[in-house]
Amino acid sequence: MTKIFITLVAAMLLAFSLVATAQEAVPMDSEAALAEARDAAAAETKSRDEFRSLDSEVQSLKKEVLDLNRDLFLLEEELLFPANSQVAFFVSMDVGEYFSLDSVNIKIDGKEVANYLYTEREADALMRGGVHRVHMANLKTGEHELIAVFVGKGPHVRDYRRGATISFDKGIGAKYVELEITDSVKKQQPEFAIKEWE
Amino acid sequence: MRASRSFILRLCVLFLVAAPGVQAAGDQVEPVVIKDPQFGEALFHFYQEDYVPAIVRLLVAKEQNRLSEHADAADLLLGGMYLSYGHHLEAAEIFEDLLAGNVAPDIRDRTWFFLAKIWYQRGYLDKSRDALANIAGALPENLENEAAMLGAQIQIDAGNYAQAIAGLANWKGETEWARYAKFNTGVALVRSGRIEEARVLLDELGSLEPYNDETAALRDKANVALGYALLQDGQPLAAKIPLQRVRLEGPFSNKALLGVGWADAEMSSYRRALVPWMELRGRDLLDSAVQESLLAIPYAMAKLDAISQAADHYLNAIEAFHEESNRLDRTIGFIESGDFFDQFIANDPLNSSGWYWSLEALPEGPESRYLFHLLATHRFQEGLKNYRDLNYLSRNIEDWLQNVDVFENMLETRKEAYAQRLPLVEAALEQADLDRMVESKLSFDATVDNIESSFDWLSLAKKSEFDMWDEITDLERSPAVQADIPEAAEVRDKVDLLKGVLQWNLERDFKERLGQIRRDLHLSGEALVETQRSRRQIDEAMRTEPLRFQALSDRVYGLAPRLEGTRMEISNAMIRQREFLQEIAVGELQAQKDRLGVYSVQARFALAAIYDISSSSEESSK
Repeated sequence: MTKIFITLVAAMLLAFSLVATAQEAVPMDSEAALAEARDAAAAETKSRDEFRSLDSEVQSLKKEVLDLNRDLFLLEEELLFPANSQVAFFVSMDVGEYFSLDSVNIKIDGKEVANYLYTEREADALMRGGVHRVHMANLKTGEHELIAVFVGKGPHVRDYRRGATISFDKGIGAKYVELEITDSVKKQQPEFAIKEWE
Repeated sequence: MRASRSFILRLCVLFLVAAPGVQAAGDQVEPVVIKDPQFGEALFHFYQEDYVPAIVRLLVAKEQNRLSEHADAADLLLGGMYLSYGHHLEAAEIFEDLLAGNVAPDIRDRTWFFLAKIWYQRGYLDKSRDALANIAGALPENLENEAAMLGAQIQIDAGNYAQAIAGLANWKGETEWARYAKFNTGVALVRSGRIEEARVLLDELGSLEPYNDETAALRDKANVALGYALLQDGQPLAAKIPLQRVRLEGPFSNKALLGVGWADAEMSSYRRALVPWMELRGRDLLDSAVQESLLAIPYAMAKLDAISQAADHYLNAIEAFHEESNRLDRTIGFIESGDFFDQFIANDPLNSSGWYWSLEALPEGPESRYLFHLLATHRFQEGLKNYRDLNYLSRNIEDWLQNVDVFENMLETRKEAYAQRLPLVEAALEQADLDRMVESKLSFDATVDNIESSFDWLSLAKKSEFDMWDEITDLERSPAVQADIPEAAEVRDKVDLLKGVLQWNLERDFKERLGQIRRDLHLSGEALVETQRSRRQIDEAMRTEPLRFQALSDRVYGLAPRLEGTRMEISNAMIRQREFLQEIAVGELQAQKDRLGVYSVQARFALAAIYDISSSSEESSK
């Protein structure tokens, strides 16, 4: 009886290591134990194969869903913002030592179209180099005026509110406009600029 | 656009090094200027660990050819994000293509390392081994150690103990990694039957002075492993030494106590064996060592001729096993009903997905205590990740299905707006005779040329000037002014003066006025060209718009069946994944139950033997 107890516990103990799980049973010293070990190994192989097959299936579904999302996103954009009239407004931040962004307010031709409040996570993503598409619009060809107001905390954690404006020409084809927040080391102040992308 | 602080090629690999949410700060990386806003947009989501939106944005930008400035970096970022999202096969395809090219060797090696690690966790041992083999140079020290340990672990899993031992042999020194290597070498030696060699290594580890929880756990583990190896090898006296070094409270204490007892029992010191076993019986019955002690105690008592006490303990053990077995049955029932996984999904916030996610708390309930150690296995964890990811995919598709109607409405609205506008546009186009306008323009050009060549200054007079000129010439021709009287001669002189002044002014302004007219004509010409171009665009739009609508209709109305098909596939995959996880969990619980069953049978058999002996001795005394 002793032997059986010991082999059971020993098998359990030695079946793992510190770095990762080893699934194989310990060699046992009886016929029954050997047969049990063989069965366990076969079951392990079967389970591993089954996992792999399911995992492959999940992988292919992930691809399918991502492709579907891509197509849906494209379709949504084409339906809502046809290329001829599409204008996209992006917010970016370089360094961000003198300004911590809370919100951006956008007016196009005097009409407020977006007022976006940033979460801490989003503001952090901006500071690390992310670019946020804050608004999409359909505009007719011709001259338009954009006014952006940035609200947040400036140097010495004081409330800070600054505006920037630009007149831009909307031609045929999509137009991208970037609202850029940069640090002016010379002035020890943030700077706000709007620029057009080709 | 802004200059990112991290060179993107390093970025995704550094992200893999770091734990979720941890920036790879301090790495010396080159800055890069983001030249495509869509690339920055993908980064915006990536930095928030929202991998699916980030991947989709990048795929969309690729499809729209808006990543011309970041083509290679975008692919690498995509590969990194696929890995983060747990889409490792797709990631590997990208990396295999890109890593063959002009990528810095350290980045390439790190990427192979992480692929190897992910594949190992997912049970793709062959792929994991191949990925490790692709590492050409030296990795950073911590990764180098982990990679070597991973390689050895793959060999141990494959039963290639000799290779594992050889792979681990180079580890020298007193570092933590060197200790792990020793332990794994010890395990591999035990498994290949080289007990005495294993003894040296495990004894060394088992005697180390622990300075933190990790080294204390390693010391206990080595001692237990060595103790049981020696017990198996028939050296109970030697086995006691390492087993007694294990802490009394800790994850390995139950096994050590049981082992010490068996070592004494092997040497027929049953009274001594009872000391650790009696300590065990008050502990958690979930532990197999505790279960085994319930049988070991009466076994020792019987050996000490305390038959009556042994019978009591066997009866207690049978009762305890029965109750534990019932609890296991209830847990198996709970898992088989699917409620466990339903609760898991219901409680899951789905705020992150992919490779980094791990289950930190099991759903509360009596069954949780049985499942904790299941979570330590890669297969269950990875299976649960897949189940969770499938749930995420399912919710994603459900959300899109809600929007299919909106898409259809948008399309129909656009079609309607087009249909309403088309007759108005056609009517306006009919009225606007562009050819006639072009002819007029050419005719104006000719007239102006004539005026210039004939210096016809009067043609460029303003209306007021022209009226004045007419008035003067009318006055000039009037009989009164023509009369041969002194007063008329005086008026004639004044008329001549006026006429002369007007002519002089018109001749003076002729050049400037001609220039203005030429400029106006030029602008008219440009406007005419623009109008012609617009007209061509309108004609083209009128020709292509119905085709575009047809293509959009095909896409929009093809959505619902496509989404439904995918939803069905996901649902079926979720069922299969759940069945697989249930099978693992129930298999584990069933094994515990079977063990209790074996113990129960042994207890009953021993009890029957005791009763038999008792009745035989009663009969013989009668």
